[in-house]
Amino acid sequence: MTNKAVIIGGSAGSFQVVIRILSQIPKSFPYPLFLCLHRLKHVREGFVEALSIKSNITILEPNDKDRIKPGIAYLAPSNYHLLIEPEFHFALSSGEPINHSRPSIDLSFASAAYAYRNNLTGIILSGANKDGALGLKAVADFEGTTIVQDPNDCQIRTMTESAIKTARVDHVLSTDQIIAFLAKMTG
Amino acid sequence: MDNFDTPLSISEEDLKRFIEAIKTASTYDFSEYSEKSLMRRLEKVLSDNQMEISGFIDRLKQDTSFLEKTIKDITVNTTELFRDPTAWHMLKYNVLPLIAQNDEINIWHAGCSTGQEVYSMMIMLNEMGLLNKTNIYASDLNSDVIETAKKGVYKYRFNLLYLDNFDKVLKENPHDPGNKAEVSYSKYFDINKVKDTISMNSFLQKKPLYKKHDLVTEPNPFPGVAYDLILCRNVIIYFNYNLQNKVFSLFFNNIKINGALLLGMHESMLGPISSRFEKKGQLYIKSKKLNP
Repeated sequence: MTNKAVIIGGSAGSFQVVIRILSQIPKSFPYPLFLCLHRLKHVREGFVEALSIKSNITILEPNDKDRIKPGIAYLAPSNYHLLIEPEFHFALSSGEPINHSRPSIDLSFASAAYAYRNNLTGIILSGANKDGALGLKAVADFEGTTIVQDPNDCQIRTMTESAIKTARVDHVLSTDQIIAFLAKMTG
Repeated sequence: MDNFDTPLSISEEDLKRFIEAIKTASTYDFSEYSEKSLMRRLEKVLSDNQMEISGFIDRLKQDTSFLEKTIKDITVNTTELFRDPTAWHMLKYNVLPLIAQNDEINIWHAGCSTGQEVYSMMIMLNEMGLLNKTNIYASDLNSDVIETAKKGVYKYRFNLLYLDNFDKVLKENPHDPGNKAEVSYSKYFDINKVKDTISMNSFLQKKPLYKKHDLVTEPNPFPGVAYDLILCRNVIIYFNYNLQNKVFSLFFNNIKINGALLLGMHESMLGPISSRFEKKGQLYIKSKKLNP
């Protein structure tokens, strides 16, 4: 199967988790990895650089209409919504924030679910709002795999608890288990 | 704003029917718009109207004013004062100095939306002593946003976030971090916390020439004007390649030699016309070298 993809959504308290995931993801990870993370104002710039220091795979902030390639982590650019088009390229939008968020995790997840259907794995990490819950539900509705970081493992549990309440969740995992899951996907 | 609860409530079939209905009843053709963005906007309009797609399309066909309102809702774009400070720093230190010596400067904001970019530019030009000899042109597809731009009154609470950008762009110099300039807000706008407004001062309001304009189908909205700088940020993300190329050709034909086009932070120019521009970051320069 070459058409799989993984999408990760996170907000407050997710930065260290994402760093750990990227530092332990296999170098040969064979699928695209989408990162939709809310950013604090002071890390609007230099976020790619900060994540790249420890990452095993290349991290890019995609431009509008860039084609999606495997083995790359794509970070939703600050102040844009990141959408995944069914023809496997990106579309950016400067439409208004949703639930005060731009990028909106719900939007990225929903568009990725629509494009990748049951080949998508969606992962919701720590956060202080409920963005991502409806997006994860969309992943579930298209029969994709849904994973939520264990709220007990989260710095802030609002986002993961909201996702668990809203969507059919296949796995509730610790950070280490998420890393193991991605390693297993690599085969 | 918080009424987003059905991420994908409409199908591709619905979207096609919507595009067809608009095309039949008006001069607008959304068929080459980026599909996901258009879908998202349509969902928002449906949800704002509390309508479902079939009834919505029927009403579009019967009710002209509803059709017009819908087109406006679909084409509205959001922006902020000094959005993307790095782009403004580049304009200030790398672009405007190149055209500062010209006797007259023509700048076109293509897809100006509610005008924050236009005011940001005028404020920066004024700080650089260039405003008087600059002609500011601005256009948008949507006549409502142009009216908002002309008024120059924005919500304070929303824009509060972006006063940080104002400080960053006008007071800080990335090439000389220790040196901070003093620039007062009141020179350019009044903040009324009770009314929750930021109102641009009248010398800025009166300056630009606005025009309703469709980038895809219409020629230069200001006939005879050749531009030193065109800003078109976060507009072409809604178009497919074909439409983008049409827009780039329009820009190319109306930019002066050594003039520049600035796109948004995450937009790039592909296709045949790109070889006629020299690319420097987000900036595309119609250089003499490439256009002898």
